[in-house]
Amino acid sequence: MFQFSFMLNALFGALLSGLSLAIFAPYVTLRRISYMGEALSHIAFAGIAIAILLGLSLTFTTMVFVVIISLIIGWLSRRHKLHEANTISIFLSVSMALGIILISISKNYSFDLASYLFGNVLLITGPEIVSLIVLNVINLIFVTVFYKELFYLTYNEEMARVFRIRIAPVSQLFLVLLAANIVINLKSAGIILVTAQLILPAVIAFNFVHSLHRAIVVSAIVAVLSAIIGFALSFNLNLPTGATIVLFEAFIYFISINFRGKQNA
Amino acid sequence: MIQISNLQYSIGGKSILENINLEIPDGQFVAIIGPNGAGKSTLIKLLLGIWQMQEGFISIDGIKQSEWLKANVFGYLPQHEEYDRSFPATALDIALMGLAGKLALAKRFKDHHKQAAMAALEQTGVANLAKRLIGNLSGGEFPRVLLARAIVGDSRYIILDEPEASLDRPAVESFFALLKTLNEAGHTIITVSHDLNILSHYCSFLVCLNRTLHCHNHTELVSSEIIHNTFGESVRIIEKDY
Repeated sequence: MFQFSFMLNALFGALLSGLSLAIFAPYVTLRRISYMGEALSHIAFAGIAIAILLGLSLTFTTMVFVVIISLIIGWLSRRHKLHEANTISIFLSVSMALGIILISISKNYSFDLASYLFGNVLLITGPEIVSLIVLNVINLIFVTVFYKELFYLTYNEEMARVFRIRIAPVSQLFLVLLAANIVINLKSAGIILVTAQLILPAVIAFNFVHSLHRAIVVSAIVAVLSAIIGFALSFNLNLPTGATIVLFEAFIYFISINFRGKQNA
Repeated sequence: MIQISNLQYSIGGKSILENINLEIPDGQFVAIIGPNGAGKSTLIKLLLGIWQMQEGFISIDGIKQSEWLKANVFGYLPQHEEYDRSFPATALDIALMGLAGKLALAKRFKDHHKQAAMAALEQTGVANLAKRLIGNLSGGEFPRVLLARAIVGDSRYIILDEPEASLDRPAVESFFALLKTLNEAGHTIITVSHDLNILSHYCSFLVCLNRTLHCHNHTELVSSEIIHNTFGESVRIIEKDY
């Protein structure tokens, strides 16, 4: 099936995309911020619309937009003691509305909503593969170098502050990197797959292991296996790739529930 | 020494603390008492810098609180620790948290940090549980792990918010005995408490708070009249038999 180079690109794309999100997934699920993945990928919609309207670089503009909005959400919630979930929901709807209005203004562009929802890994290009590789390297460095800070930030942010753990820069960087991961993966994976990949590999991992570093490793293995098997299945059965990967991961999840309960670190 | 001057705090227009002026000398075993809603936890959270001050001034060791906090850390035991029972941390991980602030950004724990954390768990009587996940600790074991976290950093000030709330009587006794040992070793202990009976055995300094400060003095100078003023007329001091 690799007689076409785009197929090879697509497989690498699916693999790297799953891997990048899987490294963040344990933190996202433990911090109970899985809604952030969904929200930020929706917020990206307005960023995409702005890029199209102004003829700017799609990925870069969207990333800057999502990062700015996520920082504003954090700041507004702290400043006015709002529930972050509420602030995020407001920005999600506002961004979607803004996106739709901007898309309708730029009449010469026919926007494909389905590809935005599910992505299309077959359209991935060489330079995008390179940016996914770079992203994975940055992710790995980030979670390795700041393991201690991320661990306690995830455990309890307020207590981490009381014990003077330097979580502020790590917390901001986490948000920025999360946004970058979501935006860069959006084209190949789409909203649905991005959201799924930020949850499923981690919840599967925590059914088998009970320490954070092992969970990151298992989450990454799950994502890579799902990408390869999901890709092969979708090719042989002629199904959409992203959706097949999600279904395969969900299948592993339901099997993994039976392995829960061994509570040793 | 901790000095608090003209501290005021309100939430949503409702005054929680009014005109608090308080001086806590070094080496004291301080109890903050008062009825529910008296502002005890608020006072502690302001002291720790968890909440931002609205009005007033706090200095620690003669330095402005915000400056002091840049180079120092309080040992703190919260009333309720918000945590996810499925979080993959062991008791040792939580004890080590008390040392994490002493390490530079991105630096890893060394063996001597782990030994210090184990020693703290030993002191609080839960060293045998070091490898256990926090979700598998009992309601009496977890506070001891949190106390280990509070003392492991060897802070000059150890602040506790109702440590007796989640412990049974024998555990409270050994808890306070340990605090007394730490106090004798030179640590200033500041604890919020409802248990006047146990405090009378251990405390050297009493702070009676009910939105305003009713007294702050050495225990022998506190009369039952002051206690009544703090808690209102309905209070009765009883010998509780456990």
